[in-house]
Amino acid sequence: MTDLDRTGTIAFVPPRYGPGVVGGAEVVFSEFAHGLADLGWDVEVLTTCARDHFTWANEFPPGTSTDGKITIRRFPTVLDTPGKDRDRLGNRMLAGERLTLDEQQRWANDSLRVPDLWFHVLDHGDDYRAMFFGPYMFWTSLAVGQVHPDRSILIPCLHREPAAYLDIYKPLVEGSVGVVFLSDPERDLAADLFRLPGNHEVLGSGIALPEHYDVDGFRAAHGIDGRFVYYAGRREWAKGWLDLVEAFRIVRARGSSLQLVTSGAGDPTLGAPELGDALIDIGFVDDATRDAAMAAADCYVQPSALESFSRTILEAWGAGTPVIANAASDVVSWHVERSGAGVLYRGGAELVEALTLLDENPAAFAELASGGRDYVREHYEPSSIVGRLDDAIRRWTQ
Amino acid sequence: MTTLMITPFAPSRDGIANYAVQEVASLRRSGVDVEVLSPLPSAAHHHLVVGSATGMTRLLRRASRYERIIVQAYPELLFGACRHRIERLLVWRLWQQVAARTEVEFRIHEIDYATITADPLTQRVATAALASFDRRTVHTQPERTALLDAAPDIGTVDIVDHGAAFIPRTTLDRTQARATLGLDPDAYIFLSIGFVQRHKGFDRAVRAFARVQPHAPVDTQLHIVGDIRVDHPDLAAYRDELDRMVASTAGCSRRTGYVGDSEFDRWIVAADCLVLPYRSIWSSGVVERAALFDRPVIVTDVGGLADQARANTTVVADDHELIEAMARSVGVDGQVGTDDLPPDRRAIESVVKRHAGTVRADGVTRPSDHLRHVPAAILGQPVSERRGVPQVKRMIFRLTSWMTQPLADTVNDLRDATNSAIDDLEERNR
Repeated sequence: MTDLDRTGTIAFVPPRYGPGVVGGAEVVFSEFAHGLADLGWDVEVLTTCARDHFTWANEFPPGTSTDGKITIRRFPTVLDTPGKDRDRLGNRMLAGERLTLDEQQRWANDSLRVPDLWFHVLDHGDDYRAMFFGPYMFWTSLAVGQVHPDRSILIPCLHREPAAYLDIYKPLVEGSVGVVFLSDPERDLAADLFRLPGNHEVLGSGIALPEHYDVDGFRAAHGIDGRFVYYAGRREWAKGWLDLVEAFRIVRARGSSLQLVTSGAGDPTLGAPELGDALIDIGFVDDATRDAAMAAADCYVQPSALESFSRTILEAWGAGTPVIANAASDVVSWHVERSGAGVLYRGGAELVEALTLLDENPAAFAELASGGRDYVREHYEPSSIVGRLDDAIRRWTQ
Repeated sequence: MTTLMITPFAPSRDGIANYAVQEVASLRRSGVDVEVLSPLPSAAHHHLVVGSATGMTRLLRRASRYERIIVQAYPELLFGACRHRIERLLVWRLWQQVAARTEVEFRIHEIDYATITADPLTQRVATAALASFDRRTVHTQPERTALLDAAPDIGTVDIVDHGAAFIPRTTLDRTQARATLGLDPDAYIFLSIGFVQRHKGFDRAVRAFARVQPHAPVDTQLHIVGDIRVDHPDLAAYRDELDRMVASTAGCSRRTGYVGDSEFDRWIVAADCLVLPYRSIWSSGVVERAALFDRPVIVTDVGGLADQARANTTVVADDHELIEAMARSVGVDGQVGTDDLPPDRRAIESVVKRHAGTVRADGVTRPSDHLRHVPAAILGQPVSERRGVPQVKRMIFRLTSWMTQPLADTVNDLRDATNSAIDDLEERNR
């Protein structure tokens, strides 16, 4: 192992990184960065001072710090434009209109920008053997990822959404030295939209399964005695949170005693129907608490159509818990169809019926989950995935 | 102290922005502290529309903070937000005041000479401003001559190498580059690359190629790489015209869409010869990028192109010389005649149809071909030379485009889907 060429510094460039940052892509970047550092690579994270992806406020101090073996360099975000183009053009994009190149550029530059990060990569890009950028949509990838395309590797975290069809992302994807995908459906979508570079590979993301799930401790700590379904992640419209709450309201109105337990970022009551005691928000929790909640739940619900990997459903399967998931996400459907460890729904009415069936037939759902843990072990063993990433870097950056 | 560069900048994609990024990188590598100001939000430190009296006044307020200001000048940057002649005069005056506060280098990429020579007053004011700069620079001798013809009393005009700060964006060799682009490793490849605009003359390259290709001793291809820069009816019409010509020319293809920096350079490395038959240009960044990789180039003798020529550059005066140069490049033995039409009406008509793009490369006319001549539906731009009319048109455009734009998009989608369905059917029936 020691004679493998791991010379040079590897940089990861996510838009956010650090404690309190919630998001699947951020977890992937952290996992890859730590995994490579453990293999002996010199690893840096180049990121912003922001924690919140709505405000992009500079909450972390700029400058250099460390996270284990990793050096973190933070650069302040700049938000000095009115954001009108972003809103107006974004709405037109959502309505299915095609934006001109000029409009696409204005949309992309009318939100957070990080000029100091851009100039750091301009000045020091040659010091890095490879720089990983992602998700594709953020300015940190679009602008900074094209400064040294010969050293840029993209982890696009791509899914079907209007921005994926914009022309401005083509040079980023097509010009990178390599592209790392998290799933086959993501790769297939990218192949439909872009001319992929020769170096591209589906790696996935590692799911570390805990030895023990402290279900009793979790229930005691949060005062939860009964049956519940669980959702972990960003509680916001784009992730299907409002659809889940609305469906749950109807299920409760039918007489169900199921509760909805949730953790993560965002205000779960914002814009959502009133659920009273049926909704239990445990806030932002550590990994052990999340894993215990997964194991204690009757079912994990994934209401989001905008997933590029959906690690939470894999964590649920790791905990032996079945999944009810939105079929509108290609990658979620792909996971469920391959593992057989869940139920897919299309639209709010089907979600209501799936939750009602769960309420009435918990044993049938529990049986579904039996193949989930093996699926996770077989495909998403962390050291195997980091090993393949390590190999890809050495092949692509000789 | 710091240098301020005023320029369009990344991630916006155009030739001047790309040029500026490389110059900024080069200056910073050599230890110069450079900040960037761009008209629109970008990766630059600051953004300010300087092409108006208001913008220039704001620039004037901050000018003394900088030891030097480098302006990557072109018409839109200088006067893009000016409403009338008086404001343009004011902008020139304000530039003169900026130059009184700090050192200014005025790097001219493109200039509308009417903004210097429109009338005696303009000439005096523009000349005074240009003369007040510490340095005026252009990229070629013809540009210097033209500038000094327009404004003789501005002092010296220096020539700076267009590609001085350019760096390669790929390390691949020709074979590797062709492999990544899916190109035949053994074919002889001509390349015309850049934004598709009539003044770039890629249609001339296609016509010349159509004459040369049948005589070529090896498999010979012409690849047009690039697309239109903005959705404007004139540009879209030219793109469609070019596509019809490409479709009717054996061995010719166009790579559509937006090309990134590394792919741009891979195309250059993969090519055997670049063909840049521009109708007009000031100077060419593509010529400089070709020089980075020592690739032969055929250029027309316009603007400063002849001045940019290297040892492996062929400068041609007209389409006849273009054909001959391309023929020599691919090793055609003997002349490619320009009058090899048979004295036969049908044969001539067939050539006419081929050149017009009304038949395919295989020479067969199909009933569906007229579909390919349906132009893209693009809403007219709210512009007019009549005073006050653009404002009214813009208002009407804003009020109605939410209804009309989706219709235009749908019509274009139907047009594309129909063409592609017919292509599929024909492919299946073949």
